[in-house]
Amino acid sequence: MAGTTRTPTNLTQGAKADAGIGASTLRPDGTLKVTGEFAYSSDMWHEDMLWGFTLRSPHAHARILSVDTSDALAQAGVYAVLTHDDLPTEHKKYGLEFTDTPVLADGVVRHHGEPVALVAADHPETARRAAAKIKVEYEELPVVHDEASALAEDAPLLHPGRDDHHAHEVPHPNIVHRQPIIRGDANAAARRADVIVTGEYEVGMQDQAFLGPESGLAVPGEDGGVDLYVATQWLHSDLRQIAPVLGLPEEKVRMTLSGVGGAFGGREDLSMQIHACLLALRTGKPVKIVYNRFESFFGHVHRHPAKLWYEHGATRDGKLTHMKCRIVLDGGAYASASPAVVGNASSLSVGPYVIEDVEIEAVALYTNNPPCGAMRGFGAVQACFAYEAQMDKVAAELGMDPVEFRQLNAMTQGTIMPTGQVVDSPAPVAELLRRVKALPLPPENQWESAGQTADVRALPGGLSNTTHGEGVVRGVGYAVGIKNVGFSEGFDDYSTARVRLEVVAGEPVATVHTAMAEVGQGGVTVHAQIARTELGVQQVTIHPADTQVGSAGSTSASRQTYMTGGAVKNTCEAVRDKALQLGRRRFGTFHPAWATAELLLEGGKVVTDGGEVLADLADVLGDDVVDLELEFRHRPTEAFDIVTGQGFGHVQYSFAAHRAVVEVDTELGLVKVVELACAQDVGKALNPLSVVGQIQGGTTQGLGLAVMEEIIVDPKSKVRNPSFTDYLIPTILDTPTIPVDVLELADDHAPYGLRGIGEAPTLSSTPAVVSAIRAATGLALKRVPVRPEHITGV
Amino acid sequence: MKTFQYERPADADTAVALLADAPTGAYLGGGTNLVDLMKLGVAAPDLLVDVSRLPFDAVEETGTGGLRIGAAVRNSTLAVHPLVRERYPVLSQALLSGASTQLRNAATVGGNLLQRTRCPYFQDVGKPCNKRRPGTGCPAREGAHRDLAVLGASEHCVATNPSDMAVALAALDAIVDVASGHGPRRVPLTDLHRLPGDAPDRDTTLRHGELITAVELPPPMPGARSAYRKARDRASYAFALASVGAVLQVREGLVHHVRVAFGALAAKPWRARTAEEALLGEPATTASFDDAVRHELAAARPLRDNGYKVPLARRMAVSMLTELAAASAGGTP
Repeated sequence: MAGTTRTPTNLTQGAKADAGIGASTLRPDGTLKVTGEFAYSSDMWHEDMLWGFTLRSPHAHARILSVDTSDALAQAGVYAVLTHDDLPTEHKKYGLEFTDTPVLADGVVRHHGEPVALVAADHPETARRAAAKIKVEYEELPVVHDEASALAEDAPLLHPGRDDHHAHEVPHPNIVHRQPIIRGDANAAARRADVIVTGEYEVGMQDQAFLGPESGLAVPGEDGGVDLYVATQWLHSDLRQIAPVLGLPEEKVRMTLSGVGGAFGGREDLSMQIHACLLALRTGKPVKIVYNRFESFFGHVHRHPAKLWYEHGATRDGKLTHMKCRIVLDGGAYASASPAVVGNASSLSVGPYVIEDVEIEAVALYTNNPPCGAMRGFGAVQACFAYEAQMDKVAAELGMDPVEFRQLNAMTQGTIMPTGQVVDSPAPVAELLRRVKALPLPPENQWESAGQTADVRALPGGLSNTTHGEGVVRGVGYAVGIKNVGFSEGFDDYSTARVRLEVVAGEPVATVHTAMAEVGQGGVTVHAQIARTELGVQQVTIHPADTQVGSAGSTSASRQTYMTGGAVKNTCEAVRDKALQLGRRRFGTFHPAWATAELLLEGGKVVTDGGEVLADLADVLGDDVVDLELEFRHRPTEAFDIVTGQGFGHVQYSFAAHRAVVEVDTELGLVKVVELACAQDVGKALNPLSVVGQIQGGTTQGLGLAVMEEIIVDPKSKVRNPSFTDYLIPTILDTPTIPVDVLELADDHAPYGLRGIGEAPTLSSTPAVVSAIRAATGLALKRVPVRPEHITGV
Repeated sequence: MKTFQYERPADADTAVALLADAPTGAYLGGGTNLVDLMKLGVAAPDLLVDVSRLPFDAVEETGTGGLRIGAAVRNSTLAVHPLVRERYPVLSQALLSGASTQLRNAATVGGNLLQRTRCPYFQDVGKPCNKRRPGTGCPAREGAHRDLAVLGASEHCVATNPSDMAVALAALDAIVDVASGHGPRRVPLTDLHRLPGDAPDRDTTLRHGELITAVELPPPMPGARSAYRKARDRASYAFALASVGAVLQVREGLVHHVRVAFGALAAKPWRARTAEEALLGEPATTASFDDAVRHELAAARPLRDNGYKVPLARRMAVSMLTELAAASAGGTP
């Protein structure tokens, strides 16, 4: 097992541009992105194109009494104005899991910012002004904004007459999905407990805050179809939702991935895709839509805010006896990924611990709040904040060290999850905790320097100069989390890769074509590394991602290196077999090893496993082209039973642990996170630099949720801070040193033994930071983000 | 954004004349606030008179040893001006704690004084707001108001003034020079902004078309210390939850001169006159500071979610005054 602390500097030293897996190959798109030369989807331009603009609802819940578009249409430069009545087919809704989201409002608006009408004009400002001339008469309706108002006797139903696949199971139509998990007998086990600890926790609404706003360009085709260039996470899922609304067969909607400026789950749902296509098909002209920052906050779903109730019991000797919990997630106006979020929240609510007797319930609500869906670590992030707070509380109640207590109850390979699923690959939970705990602590009072004045940058409040060390207390906190990798609960999760091997200018060249969305995770880099390793070539071309090849599935759920990486690996292996067949045909008679030895492709040559060179790959291929497209699936999963929650629901788990060191100005409630160390098992680091980058990024996003990031939704369900001036994400001054310790314990079920890594570090970061603040202040701190007033009190 | 006419006159008289004839026009400084508001539809001037390049870009000593700061001086320039750093640290610190480098490079002194509130309802044209449209109501009282006023608010408006610089200027007894068609006049900084009362749409006491040309600082008190502190939700690029600027002169252990101003608590920089009066001649101790500031903040009338601002402001003020007193006694600058 590896296990050294790695920094970007020591990873990049000597990194080659054309290395295989295991090397920190630099990203082909990296330099372009940091120098501002990379073409994002918002940079696209087409001769004669129009600009689309979306008129959105100013209300969270209202009936549309009338829409008058005549003034907007009369404006010079306007080519089209579309409302719900103009939709071309009977398919007027879309959605990831339920088809419940109107393409344009259908007589009712259910959340602030819901699209009501579209305008296409020859200039973006013209489109905006025309939209302002659309007269919409609303009658405001009472809002559903929390569990009480959603389930009240006279509660307005968000979606009366639901016909989705969970409709018949839910206890109330304003519950999107409910998943109980019952295992053992929690009440009986509770009688064995020497201590019982309960807690109530709350997680605020976090935003993905990707930097590239939603954008794309739709170009009408001569065949009546449309070409859509768009920044998304899953081209084929978009396609499945777009085509029926347009009334086109899927092959007439040709999609190409455009430059994506971050995603984090926020591009799983459609935003402007259908809108741009509708306008392009209506006007016969290319139509570009780009949201500005304000609109972007209304253009994508957010992380589910959650309320969580937990009860844990433990014996005096520190063994957990049972757990009961209830998790209520606010799904907002439309289902989006809510059912899957409920599945994760419930099945992972126990955390990475062994507890045999559990009673778990998770629900997602329909409300008039902003729709919530996918965001890095969904479901698991909310649960981890609560169960890790509970672990600290139980340990304190028992008078035990919180890390030792966790290690005593940590799951291992072979542990049975509350769902009955056996954890059948390494689960080094105790080891990860040991590693972060073993790291040296950053020195105390780092703000003190040889001179007289304090270095305020090392203090809470930073350059605001609010303290020079007085009132500052250090706290250290730990947390560990568990996240599932890939799509769960029986979903047919697969990816597709097409690999072409041929000789170009005398050199063997591989072309890798997938529909994988590169959203910044580094897939294009890793796929080239895989092709080099498997085919022994230097030159690999990554074909642009589009729908001319089979689905890659979503760039989410930490799954792309596993799934599309796996697809590239498998297809490369098949291509290699074909190339070797060619070799045997051409040269087999010249050397017996062609028939008898295990053959590999290395350095552009066919070699035996003993290292003997049999032929140049270029000669083997000659004028032949080997070109294969294959699908790759992970082993099947199954749905959780709707009553007991039992089932082989997850294909793989990933684990990360954090240690947070904070300095808290207890007078003013300001927090400086000094260090946030992370240890994570990644199975196999295909690109160590990218691994560290993902861990540091996820850690920072978790820090944001811990101390500052929250979309403020007021009591009338209206978003109050849709700007980066008012929605705060950590700047580099808020970002601590993040030492990273990478473990590589292979999961034998996965390609190369790798483990999906993108989400796990987001989970434990948040509770570790809050645990450290609790340690510094002695406060309970039941809600994130923690704000100054939570520390100072009123 | 509504179309508008843009003029960049070469002198102040022309600027003033242009706006005098345009009742819905506005002066444009760095544009860091006004242009945002125009994009949001909150402001819709039909004429912008760009005054950012008028010859008001100098920082000069006055005959009496004070400092005269042109209204077009950029925030970044003023923050690092040697005389400001040496004699008015509170001003330099306040400026550097505001916004980002890029914004400070663009923002002017005059524009900073006239920036408008960050109240979320003021910025959302889809909602009622008495400051934007008098008489429509104030949803902030029941809505999202964590960042809003605890002092001097009215039933019509609970907005806060977002400026850090203005807080420092209030503590420095700055005077604002104003030009208009009726000739120049001088307005004490503390009289420039107004509390909402029953006319929350009026942020300042300026009349339409009046142009801020300079800000004048009196000479620094000999031996006085000054500083600015700001509590915010992240380390940089964030508005104050509460802030305090103060000037303190101590003689023989007693408070000889003191100015305290709070930011982010009210619709204007809040000069703590009650505290200042209480402190005059008192021992420069933490206990006196605490008493005086408590007395001042007794006037606070917090809403549901912003009561935390009161202890935040008090603790910052007391600890900063204590430090200033110690520096005074110790002789360190």
